Amino acid sequence: MKKVTHSFRTRLFVGFLVASLVPVLLCSAMLLQVFRLRLDSQTDQESRGQLSRVVETLDSLYAGFRQTALALQASPYVAPALAGGQGESGMVYSELYSATEGSRSAARFDLFNGDGTCLYSTGSAPFGAQLPTHWGVLHAARQAKSLVFAQVDGGEGNSAVLFQGAARIPDGEDGTAGYLVITMTRGDFSRLLEGSYGAQNDLLLLNSYWRTVYATQTSLTDDLAPLLREQLLKGEPLGQSGTPYAYRVALQEEMGLYVVLQYPQSLNPGTRRLLTTVTGGSALVCVALSILMSLRLSRQMFRPIQRLHGAIGQVVQNNLNVYVPPGQNDELGQLAQRFNGMVAALKRNQEQLVENQRELNEAQIRMLQAQLNPHFLCNTLDTMKWISKINQVPQVALMSTDLADILRFCISPDEFVPLSREVEILRRYMEIQSIRLSARCRFEVDLPPDLEDCLVPKMILQPIVENAVLHGLDGVEDGVVRVQVRAVEGNTLRISVTDNGRGLPPELVGPYVRSSEPAGRSHLGLYNVDTILKKHYGPDYGLYLDRREDGPGTEVTATLPLRKEEEPC
Amino acid sequence: MNRHRARALVCLMLAALLALTGCSSRPEDRSAASFAPDEEHRLVVYTSHKEEVYRPIIKEFEARTGIWVELVVGGTNELLDRLVQEQEHPQADVMFGGGVDSLEAYASCFTPYFCRDWELLDPELRSPIGLWTPFSALPVVLIYNTKLVSPGQLTAWSDLFSPAFQGRIAFCDPSVSGSSYTGLVTLLKAVGGDRDETLRRFAVSLDGRQLDSSGAVLDSVADGTDLVGITLEETALKRGAEGAELGIVYPSDGTSCVPDGCALVKGAAHEENAQLFLDFISGLDVQRQMETSFSRRPIRKIQDLASTLPLMENIPLVDYDIPWASENHNKILMSWAFYFGGGEEP
Repeated sequence: MKKVTHSFRTRLFVGFLVASLVPVLLCSAMLLQVFRLRLDSQTDQESRGQLSRVVETLDSLYAGFRQTALALQASPYVAPALAGGQGESGMVYSELYSATEGSRSAARFDLFNGDGTCLYSTGSAPFGAQLPTHWGVLHAARQAKSLVFAQVDGGEGNSAVLFQGAARIPDGEDGTAGYLVITMTRGDFSRLLEGSYGAQNDLLLLNSYWRTVYATQTSLTDDLAPLLREQLLKGEPLGQSGTPYAYRVALQEEMGLYVVLQYPQSLNPGTRRLLTTVTGGSALVCVALSILMSLRLSRQMFRPIQRLHGAIGQVVQNNLNVYVPPGQNDELGQLAQRFNGMVAALKRNQEQLVENQRELNEAQIRMLQAQLNPHFLCNTLDTMKWISKINQVPQVALMSTDLADILRFCISPDEFVPLSREVEILRRYMEIQSIRLSARCRFEVDLPPDLEDCLVPKMILQPIVENAVLHGLDGVEDGVVRVQVRAVEGNTLRISVTDNGRGLPPELVGPYVRSSEPAGRSHLGLYNVDTILKKHYGPDYGLYLDRREDGPGTEVTATLPLRKEEEPC
Repeated sequence: MNRHRARALVCLMLAALLALTGCSSRPEDRSAASFAPDEEHRLVVYTSHKEEVYRPIIKEFEARTGIWVELVVGGTNELLDRLVQEQEHPQADVMFGGGVDSLEAYASCFTPYFCRDWELLDPELRSPIGLWTPFSALPVVLIYNTKLVSPGQLTAWSDLFSPAFQGRIAFCDPSVSGSSYTGLVTLLKAVGGDRDETLRRFAVSLDGRQLDSSGAVLDSVADGTDLVGITLEETALKRGAEGAELGIVYPSDGTSCVPDGCALVKGAAHEENAQLFLDFISGLDVQRQMETSFSRRPIRKIQDLASTLPLMENIPLVDYDIPWASENHNKILMSWAFYFGGGEEP
């Protein structure tokens, strides 16, 4: 029982859990995913836009540089001035300034001669400053036709030189007159790129071999750039584990600049943790609610059932004084009410049964008591017989003997007796009656020998005969009471008692009519006999009253099934 | 039946959940990966040089050749040991840095290669079999504190035995510093005579004091703790360029000039690129930068380059036998430890 309760409860709990948890989890997972995808695409778009903006900025920067280089290379004044080391300084400067129009704010432009000495500058560059021509950017510029760029380890600070571009200025023949050197400082870069990347993002400019040119934060130069380069070379995805950043890379090809945009991941670990916590929390609430609900519902269901179960147990143990409070008026309440009604009915039945039993017992006791007296009477009658024999009163002796025999027959335990015995008792009875009536009547019996052993209820004929003697022979001189036994149709026994008395009032002719009460003392015997016959054999049998056809008198016929004494097996 | 259907439904939902929460791939890394160079444009360099030396060289090399250099930085012996361990499957292509005596000692790790300009290198400073390619010449020099020592006082190794300097000589433990060991062997060669006697006398001059790093030699002389010291020209020049008051003496009884070098690792995956690298570091453009950028002495003659350094041919050299120094490394250090400990004959 306990186990069943438990498992039912568990089932209920699991059901609730599934019903509440699955939608919650599904919903939050889907929301999380949708949220993430949405944010991802948003940041994706944003970062893409920012990156392309930066690349565009660099593109236009390069376009300006290229224009400048072309203009200076084509200028008729610049190359001779650089080659010869002298010339119209004003003209050169005017060429320089007009060529750098529009780009000057982004960088410093210097003109170096073929030996790597600075001669002209748009900035306050140290004149006479040297750059090696066999190394670095000037060497590269000499090898290449177009603009070349190189990263410079300029150090810290805003005015630190980070990036140099150079273009060779030919001297008209095959030689090199000098170089245009474009110098960009950290300040130049931060001015140039300001606002083109998001406030939360950081930017890293790398040269063709992924060495840092410029970073919006110095820590990126030291920590991130080498890591990214290593990851690139190893073919791993870019990014620092444990940091909530993602990276996007674009290339500005002409300057050989890789632009790395560092932007926060759409769902950083903190937010993700928060969302997971919220989801977990709601799942926990669901679990708690499920437990609570399943407990509550199972209790609501189980308390009445348990009470009912207990009550049934009580009934099984024969305690009918149980009552189940019906509780709410739902199906279970009705069940309890019905049960209560059932128990009440059962109780009533049992009480009735007990009452019946008690009455039965009382009857049996009375019967036993009644059996005591006849024995005493029999013995007394025997005594009387002997006393009367001694005192020579033969009538008394005979009467005592007959009476004792009748009495014994009456109190014998047999319910059915052979017809011969019944007839024998009738003879005794008639002996007594003939003494009483001073031999004024005769008794005749016509019993075929083959019917002698037919079984009939005990003392069934005596009341009929008595009735005949009392009523039929009243005031008749030679009364004759005749008992005739016949078998009819082989299976019915007909016993008729006839007298030659006054006869029967006409209204009584026919089957004996039982009134609900025996009609007065006179008919008590017939009533009893009829009742016994009907009780034993059914309503088709009983007494039939008729006038004698052959003279005055009455004929009472008892009809009953023919039954022989059974052979003992 | 119904139950089965419900179960199937739950399973389906869980599967959908998993599918939804599964990570989606990020497209942008793919494009970033496409920027990575192919194998033909890579070179793995093990270097024991300091960053200010290797960084400009690597950068220029990359810019000129288009080869991406992957650097592994470490101590000379550490990297050489690593090369031995990796001999089966070499990870490195080039060992850049370390005295050539050290490289000789690990000859089994390297493949000989005669660099493009081998003919033009100083014959004293190149490997006859091309096992290594020299990078810079590192003569052993004596230094002195210009305030405490007058220029004529220190001219030769033998001056170190003078009582004036006893206990005031900055010398690094030769078992710690390779250059100090080179200095000790140079001393033995320069002074000549019985080696044990020389070691004993030098130990007396040191008066039981040794420094535990080669950098400390410069510090100790510069701040006047010691009067004189033994170090490499490169270190002294660099410190002098930083403004320290140091005098440099090329001992008249001769000094050694063991170059540091660069060697091609045997079985290198990017051998051609490694050869380009060796050509590059011994090439004219790098060597031309040697003195100005790295305070080092080039290993080849550069015609049109003005130099503040005394010409190599004017520096008296002892007959420094690199293989001999390598072979007798432990033996000499044991003897030195004995005499330095001030012990009598055992």
